[in-house]
Amino acid sequence: MRVLGIETTCDETAAAVVASGDDGRGVILSNEVFSQIAEHAGYGGVVPEIAARAHVEAIDRLIARALRAADVTLDQVDGIAAAAGPGLIGGLLVGLTTAKTLALVARKPLIAVNHLEAHALTPRLTDEVAFPYLLLLASGGHTQLVAVRGVGDHIRLGTTIDDALGEAFDKVAKLLGLAYPGGPEVEREARRGDPERFALPRPMMGRPKPDFSLSGLKTALRIEAEKVAPLTGTDIADLCAGFQAAVVDVIEDRTRVALRDFRERVGRPTALVAAGGVAANGAIRDALARLAGEAGLRLVAPPLPLCGDNGAIIAWAGLERLRLGLTDDMTAAARPRWPLAELEAAPPAS
Amino acid sequence: MRILAIDTALGQCAAAILDVASETTIAAEAIAMERGHAEALLPLLDRVMARVDGGFHSLDRVAVTIGPGSFTGLRIGISAARAVALAIGIPAVGVTTLSALMAPLMEDGPKRLTVAAIDARGGRVFVQAIGPSGRLIIQPCVMTIRDVVRNLGSGSVALVGPGATMIAAEARAVGIDAVLHDDLVLPDLAWVARIGAAAEPDEALAKPYYLAAPDARPQDGARLARL
Ligand SMILES: Nc1ncnc2c1ncn2[C@@H]1O[C@H](COP(=O)(O)OP(=O)(O)OP(=O)(O)O)[C@@H](O)[C@H]1O
Repeated sequence: MRVLGIETTCDETAAAVVASGDDGRGVILSNEVFSQIAEHAGYGGVVPEIAARAHVEAIDRLIARALRAADVTLDQVDGIAAAAGPGLIGGLLVGLTTAKTLALVARKPLIAVNHLEAHALTPRLTDEVAFPYLLLLASGGHTQLVAVRGVGDHIRLGTTIDDALGEAFDKVAKLLGLAYPGGPEVEREARRGDPERFALPRPMMGRPKPDFSLSGLKTALRIEAEKVAPLTGTDIADLCAGFQAAVVDVIEDRTRVALRDFRERVGRPTALVAAGGVAANGAIRDALARLAGEAGLRLVAPPLPLCGDNGAIIAWAGLERLRLGLTDDMTAAARPRWPLAELEAAPPAS
Repeated sequence: MRILAIDTALGQCAAAILDVASETTIAAEAIAMERGHAEALLPLLDRVMARVDGGFHSLDRVAVTIGPGSFTGLRIGISAARAVALAIGIPAVGVTTLSALMAPLMEDGPKRLTVAAIDARGGRVFVQAIGPSGRLIIQPCVMTIRDVVRNLGSGSVALVGPGATMIAAEARAVGIDAVLHDDLVLPDLAWVARIGAAAEPDEALAKPYYLAAPDARPQDGARLARL
């Protein structure tokens, strides 16, 4: 089975072809991504109208490239999947309209994929992880702890009540005059800094529900930074180290609580999965590995290129849905807001 | 040449299949709407194509209105047109809404100054004007209604497009003889097809013709909340 996947939810225009063999294993045949970072660079963030303009100019070319790189024609794919949300409406409409039209012309099933579910199902593509598992999704746009029980069957155990984890890294980096995206910069600085010099809070630690809050930590860091300003190289390194140490503590605590929650509500997970750009952070990864070891679980972290926005994860989620008969029709709507809990579930496994 | 014409740039969701040589419309459907084009277009395309022998694969070309118009609307039509082109390996060409709106009055040479206008909000219109000699009097741009009227001279003027009534009121107030063409408020798909058939695919690209810079405000908090 082969599925074409289209991704236009934010500032990446992407298309990919993913296949599965008789054993159900996924293989990425192609994965073409066009990043719009340069187009938004001057604005300090993603500008929705600029993003939509870039998507409509690029998406057909990327699809053609993805098909060519996979060495398949449109007729040889079994389904066409597009991320229908959550995301920026302008881009969603471009991707979804394109997918619907291809599906109509080539007479293929359409699969309207939830972008968050695509991230949630990625470890099944990369590591064949079986349901159920605990997912920590931590990127620039979201921070969630999710019990992934099946296709279309997810329980969100915790989320952030303010900033996303990656967003917090980016804001701290910006505050300290480091480059964007801030995560890798903060991590690099932290490596040579003293995590003990600044006393920073660990928001939400110890709370019974595994939610996150990061704005207080960010504010505390700003106050500390203002106290010692103008900042020297050492100050910056120490501030980054302090910030990262606080985040690591919070993530470890919140994930531990989520694991407890998971056991009570779902049973024993098969794995702890860390996805999203923030999972690239070495200190965070070490903490999660420790925690997984403690719980007797394996830690799975999909490779970085699959943690960002891309078409392969959309194609894979489409493939998982298609093989359960979960398809959509030509009236499928783009959904800028689309919580995982509102997904259509697969019929109970036989 | 068998051509599929699509228009979702303004107040309709419309598609038509025409045989250009014989000037016959094989199938067509248009639904008046200000929003909801995205949900309506594909079911409509499906219905229209079902009435065409040979279906999509019998097409030689796709023509689509590229604006000016609703940014979202024109991207929907263009996405669909380019996807049809990609799927069956034919060219997709773009036709501006302004030229499609004017085309019916240009057929035997314009008799009077002809103005196509589309509401661009805030007292402004997307506008184009062509003189009786065929000369471009106002090239496509965004202008205040007052400035448009100032450029019209004193002779009789024909007005087309969804912004025509706005111009008419202002023009008549200064004594210009304004002839409103109520039947030419939205692009006629037959004309979109005809213009599209005559166009050079390498030049008339099926890409948006916004005529207005993007509203460059980053998403709140620099990132999107996606919960
Ligand atoms: N080493 C790192 N340490 C901490 N954060 C990191 C690191 N590397 C990347 N990040 C952060 O991860 C985020 C980028 O994540 P990712 O590429 O998954 O997607 P995104 O574009 O934010 O995605 P989405 O729109 O799906 O939320 C940025 O905020 C970046 O700062």
